[in-house]
Amino acid sequence: MTARRRPENTSRRTFLKTAGAAAGTAVVAGFPAVLHAQAPTVKIGTLHCVTGPLAEPGQACRLGAQMAADAINAAGGIKSMGGAKIELLLGDTQTKADVARAEAERLINAGAQLLMGTFNSGDTAAVVPVAQQRRVPFLVDISAADPITANVAKSVRDGQQKVQYVYRNFPTGTLFGQRAVQYFTEIFKESGVSPKRVVLMHANDLFGQNQARGFQAAHKAANPSWEIVEVISWPEPPSDLSTEVSRAKAAKPDVIAPITRPASAQLLLPEIAKQRLDIMGIVGPGSPGLYEAGQIAALKENLEYVMASNPWPNFKNARTRQVAEEYTKRSGGKTFDTNSGYSYDGMFVLADTLERAKSTDPDTVVDALKKTRFTGGLMVYGGPIMFNEIGDNPNAIPAMIQILGQKPVVVWPKDVAAEKLVFPRPKR
Amino acid sequence: MDLTLVGQGLLSGFLFGGVYSLMAVGLTLIFGVMRVVNFAHGDMMVWGMYLAWLLSIRAGIDPYVGFLVCAAALFFFGLLIQRGLVERIVDAPHEMQILLMLGVALVLENAALVAFGPDPARVRSPLSQATVWIGPIFVDVARLVTFGLAMALTAALWLFLARTDLGRSMRAAADNPYGARVIGTDVRRVYAAAFGVGAACVGAAGALVSPILPFQPTSGLGLSVTSFNIVIIGGMGSLPGAFVGGILVSVAESMGAVFLSPSMKELVSFGLLIAILLFRPAGLFGKAAG
Repeated sequence: MTARRRPENTSRRTFLKTAGAAAGTAVVAGFPAVLHAQAPTVKIGTLHCVTGPLAEPGQACRLGAQMAADAINAAGGIKSMGGAKIELLLGDTQTKADVARAEAERLINAGAQLLMGTFNSGDTAAVVPVAQQRRVPFLVDISAADPITANVAKSVRDGQQKVQYVYRNFPTGTLFGQRAVQYFTEIFKESGVSPKRVVLMHANDLFGQNQARGFQAAHKAANPSWEIVEVISWPEPPSDLSTEVSRAKAAKPDVIAPITRPASAQLLLPEIAKQRLDIMGIVGPGSPGLYEAGQIAALKENLEYVMASNPWPNFKNARTRQVAEEYTKRSGGKTFDTNSGYSYDGMFVLADTLERAKSTDPDTVVDALKKTRFTGGLMVYGGPIMFNEIGDNPNAIPAMIQILGQKPVVVWPKDVAAEKLVFPRPKR
Repeated sequence: MDLTLVGQGLLSGFLFGGVYSLMAVGLTLIFGVMRVVNFAHGDMMVWGMYLAWLLSIRAGIDPYVGFLVCAAALFFFGLLIQRGLVERIVDAPHEMQILLMLGVALVLENAALVAFGPDPARVRSPLSQATVWIGPIFVDVARLVTFGLAMALTAALWLFLARTDLGRSMRAAADNPYGARVIGTDVRRVYAAAFGVGAACVGAAGALVSPILPFQPTSGLGLSVTSFNIVIIGGMGSLPGAFVGGILVSVAESMGAVFLSPSMKELVSFGLLIAILLFRPAGLFGKAAG
C-alpha cells in the first residue's frame, strides 16, 4: 500500500520545499496518486480580471495561481484526501462587477468547491454575496477595500447570516493606511528631513477611495508632524491630469502621495515632472502602477526614486527567488511581484486548509480556514498567515519599496530592506 | 482662488481641446456624410495609437511624423470596412448599424488585446516631456503641436469638402443621396471615400495623442464616449462644431477640476451635454432637423 503513504513525519516546511523543488520538473510519474485509476480532484474556481483595464495585474494573478496549483499537484496534491489534485476552473471578471458575479455563479455551477480572487475590490465585493448564498468558501487573494470582509463579519455577528465564507489574505485599506503613515514618519526621521506638507492624490474608484480613507484616518489617529494639506481625486481611468497636478502644485507640497492604477500612473508621473514640482519625493501609500516591469519600461526616469508602500515578495527567502525565476520564464519576462505573489500564496493557503479539513464540505473548510497558521508564504509577512474575527490576515503587511536603478527594491522596514533608501530624491 | 492655477487650467484645457477636437472630427465626418454612427470610433483610434507605437519602437519613427503613415493605414482599413460591412447596412435602421459597429469595436478591441497584451502603453517622443515657461505658467509643447496639427487637419478637411470635386460629391451625397445619384454621382464610391477619410482622421488623431495619453486595448470605449459627447455638443456632422466642441468640453473639464473637485470634472462635460440636448438638441453648429 504505497498509494496511501502519508508523510507523517514531514513538516510543512519540508513539504513546501519538496513542492518548490518539484515545481520546475514535469516528472510526476513516480508519485503515488497517479496509481489511482481515478485520482480525486478538488475544483477551485479562480476569478481574476484577465481582460479589461486591469488585465495586466489580473493576468499576473492567474499565472501565480496556476503556478502554485502546478507546484502543489506536482508534490502529490492534497495528501490527506488521497492525493487529490487541484483542478483550476478559470474565470474572467473583465474588470466589471456584474461580470464578476455572473462568472462566480458559472464557476460554482461548473462544480467549483472553493473560490479565489479577484484583485479588483469592486469585482470582489460583487462575488461576496454569491459565495455567501451558495455556501462556497471564498479566499480573497488580493483586494484591499475593508467592507469586503467587514460587511459579512458584521452580518454574521448580528445573526443575519450563519457562517462567514469569505476570508482574505491581503492587507486591508485600514492596515495599508496605518503602515503607510508609520513608514512615512519613520522614513522622514531616518533621512533627517522634516517635510510638512503632503498632498494626497488618488483614483476615485472603490479601491482608491478606500485606500485614501484608510490613509487619512490613520494620519488623524497618529497625528504625526506632517500634514495632509490637500486631497485630489480623479475619475479612473483619467484622460488628462494636468489640471489636477497644477492644483497639487498650488498647494506647495513637500511630498506627493499618489494612489494610482497603471494607466493613471502613466499620466500622473510625467505630468509631475513636466510641471516641475519642487518636492522632496513621491511616496505612495499603496497602489499598483508604481513598480511593475511594464510601468518601469514605459515611465523610465519618471519612476526613479518613487517609493510605494506595497505588499512585496520576501526575496530573502530562497524559495521566493526560485519561484520568481520560474515566473519570469513562464510570463515572458515579467517580475514576480505583489499580484502574482499573493495569488501564489493564496493557492497554498487553500491547499493547506484542505490538507487539514480532509474534506471539501464548506463548513468543514471554513472551520479549518479559521484555524490557519501557515508559515510557507513567499511574501513579506508580519507573522504566520491567519484570519482574525473579521476574516482578515493581520499579518499581511506592506513594505516600502523604491525604484532604484530602474528596479523595485525593498527599502523599509530596515530588517527586510535590500538597499538603503534615497530621500529626499536628488535634484535634477 | 489662485489666479495662476486658473490661468494654467484655462491654457491646459484649451490646448488639450485640440486633442479632443481631433478625436471628434473623424466621427462627425462619417456621420455627416453617411448618417452611420461609428461605434468602433474609439477602437479604430486605439489601433492608430498602437500603429504609432509600433512605428516608434520598431523603426524609431516619431509619432509627429508617423501619424501620416497611421492615417494612410486607417484610410485603407476604413475603405475595407465600408466596402465589406457598412455598405450593406447604410439604409438599415440605426439600431442595426449600431449593432454592427459595436461588433466591429469588439473585434478590434480583442484583436489589440491578443496582439499587444493588456499593459498600458505610451509612445515616447522627445516632444512629450518638453515645456516652455511663461512666468509661472507652463506650455506643454506636445499639446501645442497637437493643437496646431488639429487646426491644420480640420482646415484641410474643410477645404477638401468645399473645394474639390470629391468633397463636393460628398456633401451632395450627404444632403440628398437620391438627388446625387440622379445627377450621376457614384454614391457608393463617395461613401467609401468618406469612411476612408473619416478613418484616416481617426488614425492621425490616435497617433498624435499617443505621446500624451497612455492607452491599452480597452481604452476605445472611453474615447468613443468622449468623442460622441463632443460631436453632440458641437452638432452631429458639423466640422467646426467638432472643433469648437472639443475645446469647449476640454476647457469645461479643466475648469471643473479647478473650481469643483477633479473627480467631478466629467460632471461638468456631461452636464454641458444634457444642457445642449435640452435647449439646443441639434448642437451648437448643427442644423435643426426638418
